[in-house]
Amino acid sequence: MTTRREFLAGAGLEALAAQLPVIALAQPKDSVTIAMTLEPPTLDPTSGAAQAIREVTLQNIFEGLVRMDRTGKIVPCLAESWEVAADNLTYRFKLRTNATFHDGTPFTSELVKFSFERAVAPDSTNAQRQLFAPIAAIETPDPVTVVITLKQPTANFLYGLAWGDAVIVAPASAANNKTSPVGTGPFRFVRWNRGDRLELARNDAYWGAKPALAKATFRFISDPAAQVASLRAGDVDAQTNLAAPEAVAQLKADPKLKVAFGKTEGEVILATNNAKPPFNDLRVRQAIAHVLDRKTIALGVYGFDVDLIGSHFSPLHPAYVDLTNTYPPDLAKAKALLAQAGHPNGFTCTLRLPPPAYARRAGEIIAALLAQVGINARIEPLEFPQWLERVFRGKDFDLSVIAHTEPLDIGNYARDDYYFQYRNPEFKALIAKIDVTLPEAERNALYGEAQRILARDAVNGFLFVLPKITVTAAGLEGMWTDWPLPITPLAEVVWR
Amino acid sequence: MIEAAIPEPTARRHWWTSPSFLIGAALTLTVVATALLSYVWTPHHPTQMAILNRLKPPSSANWFGTDQFGRDVFSMIMVGARNSLAVGLGAVGFGMVLGTTLGLLAAMRRDGLLDNAIMRSADFTHAFPAVLTAIMITAAAGPGMLNAVIAIGVLNLPYFARLARGSALQVWTRDFIQAARGHGLSNWQITLRHVLPNIAGIITVQATIQFALAVLAEAGLSYLGLGTQPPNPSWGRMLNEAQTFMAVQPWLAVFPGAAIAVTVLGFNLLGDGLRDALDPRVRRAR
Amino acid sequence: MLAFAGRRLIAFVLTLMAAALVIFLMLEVLPGDPAAVTLGLNAAPEALAALRAEMGLDRPAVVRFLAWVGGLVTGDLGLSYTYRVPVSQLIAERMAVTLPLALMAMTLAAAIGVPLGMLAAANHNRPADAAVMVFAQAGLAIPNFWFGLLLVLVFAIGLGWLPAGGFPGWQAGAGAALRSLALPALALALPQAAILARVTRSAMLDTLQEDFVRTARAKGLGEAATVLRHALRNALIPVVTILGLQFSVLIAGAIIIENVFALPGLGRLVFQSIAQHDLIVVKDLVMLFAALAILVNFLVDLLYGVIDPRLREAA
Repeated sequence: MTTRREFLAGAGLEALAAQLPVIALAQPKDSVTIAMTLEPPTLDPTSGAAQAIREVTLQNIFEGLVRMDRTGKIVPCLAESWEVAADNLTYRFKLRTNATFHDGTPFTSELVKFSFERAVAPDSTNAQRQLFAPIAAIETPDPVTVVITLKQPTANFLYGLAWGDAVIVAPASAANNKTSPVGTGPFRFVRWNRGDRLELARNDAYWGAKPALAKATFRFISDPAAQVASLRAGDVDAQTNLAAPEAVAQLKADPKLKVAFGKTEGEVILATNNAKPPFNDLRVRQAIAHVLDRKTIALGVYGFDVDLIGSHFSPLHPAYVDLTNTYPPDLAKAKALLAQAGHPNGFTCTLRLPPPAYARRAGEIIAALLAQVGINARIEPLEFPQWLERVFRGKDFDLSVIAHTEPLDIGNYARDDYYFQYRNPEFKALIAKIDVTLPEAERNALYGEAQRILARDAVNGFLFVLPKITVTAAGLEGMWTDWPLPITPLAEVVWR
Repeated sequence: MIEAAIPEPTARRHWWTSPSFLIGAALTLTVVATALLSYVWTPHHPTQMAILNRLKPPSSANWFGTDQFGRDVFSMIMVGARNSLAVGLGAVGFGMVLGTTLGLLAAMRRDGLLDNAIMRSADFTHAFPAVLTAIMITAAAGPGMLNAVIAIGVLNLPYFARLARGSALQVWTRDFIQAARGHGLSNWQITLRHVLPNIAGIITVQATIQFALAVLAEAGLSYLGLGTQPPNPSWGRMLNEAQTFMAVQPWLAVFPGAAIAVTVLGFNLLGDGLRDALDPRVRRAR
Repeated sequence: MLAFAGRRLIAFVLTLMAAALVIFLMLEVLPGDPAAVTLGLNAAPEALAALRAEMGLDRPAVVRFLAWVGGLVTGDLGLSYTYRVPVSQLIAERMAVTLPLALMAMTLAAAIGVPLGMLAAANHNRPADAAVMVFAQAGLAIPNFWFGLLLVLVFAIGLGWLPAGGFPGWQAGAGAALRSLALPALALALPQAAILARVTRSAMLDTLQEDFVRTARAKGLGEAATVLRHALRNALIPVVTILGLQFSVLIAGAIIIENVFALPGLGRLVFQSIAQHDLIVVKDLVMLFAALAILVNFLVDLLYGVIDPRLREAA
């Protein structure tokens, strides 16, 4: 592509080159090549936790009873509608009648039962079994009705059904979904060249609105420089989340490209071991909070401003409360708090960092910031498996930097055994109350209270939310620019 | 492949005037001096961040510019010299001491079980691709300066073991060894008093060459994120980070690489010069 | 000769077996649970146990080792933990990048190194010789990954002639694929070209001293003709040997260069697999790299035995 453009320019044929988009308009393009950073290890969202699986498959190949739209709202999908009984325990779903799997298998209530029971079977490798834990019984009175009874009211039950882990699969194809997925979605799987690309084609038998695209290719380009080069050369039409924030200025200046800055549900935190001295002392955690200059950290990581957070909650959610000023940067105060806690000269601790660039960069800056108050945080980089084993499962750490990318995961702070080991009965009671509070305004108010408790207790260092930097070719529309769920649905993507 | 020539004592002529030796010595001295100087003086604090002053080109304030955190690249390169030399010293020292000991032992027990065991292990280590061994060691033990030293040291071992054995075997055939034996010296005593001093020269030359390779290997490992860890500056890792910002601030990718090249060149040339000194016969062919 | 070859063959097989054992033991040390990596932060213990059983991780180490070696012998390299496809398929896909890369680098190294070495030998102790020697020293001192970065800086970012990294795949056409491999192959070739230049030069200088070359000169043959017709042919043996030995070096060197240029080859696969704790792929790949190096050593040994009968006794 580059060569051709340069050839044209070099030959003095700018006029012709300028006409090319016009020619393109006459015959709208119906294929797209979209680059993403990580390649999915498999293509089965009901087995394995990798986000990349969902990014490719959810709402493209696979669908659930409900889906999340680009604003984070739960809308009907394979279930056309539903009713919740007054006791908040019984959900009656009315299903689509015209949905079929890509292999022709008709979609019926039996398959919903099959999928959800499969997810909690003893040999299930579903990464989010707890989504199905509240289910007491699944009944299928007729092929287009499913009645699910819960053990206790669960406010976020529907929300969970929109996740990739709750997609509907068919018995005949389920076992092979890892390598040749068969779902009910608007696109079907065509081919996968591992390490390089994955091709999808429009499902012409789709039950819903027909997608504009006939063909879509996901390319996996992990190298930031290569991402930039491919976008500029026109080898790819979009990058779902640019891994090269330093190239943003350069890409914005390119008239052939559009750059959109969006939000995600990925809260980046300085994870703190609340059970381990000296971090079990609130004053020490407060001192650290006073040291963490979020603006500086974010700037050092990205080179531009991103959304800062003061608690474990994303600004994407309507219940978000701005708590970034709970402990404003103040070195003198930090030193005073450390002295009160019995560490006037600071202390030495470890800072175990997983591989992503945001974690490594933020970690380096945080170590430098902490050094100003005498806290000597020794950086230990870990590969992700080792991080999982030692930090997350072994709870063998002092400090770490990690993004919690699951939507609405503030409830983790109510888990005593969760890796940062925050134990607060008041908070647990609050989360339990949220679980049974179904009216939205009331629930959001409770979420606000939960955010305040975490901010006050400085449980972790709350830094910023991962930005989503969507880069698209100028004529491409309909891509998600926010990530209430980190997925890339193609049904509404269209060339203009 | 290793020349195991034993020097003739009378052969030393004015080797110190050879350009290889002079340039090599000058470069090596510069690097060593920089490393030492960094203990007492650097233009800026090497790990002090100034985020607002990030990614600046070279200027009178920051001679080599600043990195993505606003740190002074010149100061980081000065301290990086320290780390490169430390890893080189540790890795070559490890390989040299252990390798030479094993080589001497093998020569002493020539064709015995021990000799065979030592030399087959050396062959085996040698057969493994160097980068892979290092990656496996650091993957198992975790990245870090010490593990890099061990990984590179293990790679050095077979070179020294083979060279020491080969050279020692030649010494063992010499007349004065027979004489020493006549005086009732044990194998151990002969090895320490006669064999080791005679092969020390060639081992030193090899050490210089291996030092250059060790600096290269450390840079490679650090580039892959397996060597020296932040905030401790390292040339290899600086290059890795520079790659990300290459379109914005190309200077970042230039200076650390040049520092590696200068250091490796210095030790290579110094080694060549010293080898010529030991064996003037090879001078013609080189 | 047969006895010699037999001895070398036994040593070759023993070395391979030792390599397998060392690799298995070293990788068993690695902390981390592949099942936990697959299932992530919220995995339930039952799900983990189920996946571990599916991956065969619940068997004792000895059984896993024997199963692995047995698989290697029969060509069954196992199933990747992360991708859930046969490792042999993964390796075949990645080989389509690494093998052409190494071959291109070797060709480039020979195309640059051998003529330079000849030039230097023909102009012994003259400026051209000195210039080649300076090139050789520089080639050995410059880390190949830095050279790769400089090439990107000039040819990709500066001039925009070639891609900075990534690989479009062979289905994008041979032209596009080769363009992506050009810079990495050049970066990989530089140190090898330097070594080849030095080896060619000294081999040529040695043969130029030989009697038959002197005779040719005395017969009034021109310098260039002498060099080309007589000296080169005889100097070729060491050069070809080095070239052969370099092939395994190049494959290993690809590990770092593939990371510089984000090429989906074997080297990058090693790194990815370590990062994802896909130990079965790591084991197979390291074994593959090691086996390749051991094989090349074995072949060179055999070759030397053929060329120089005295070596048969020494071995």
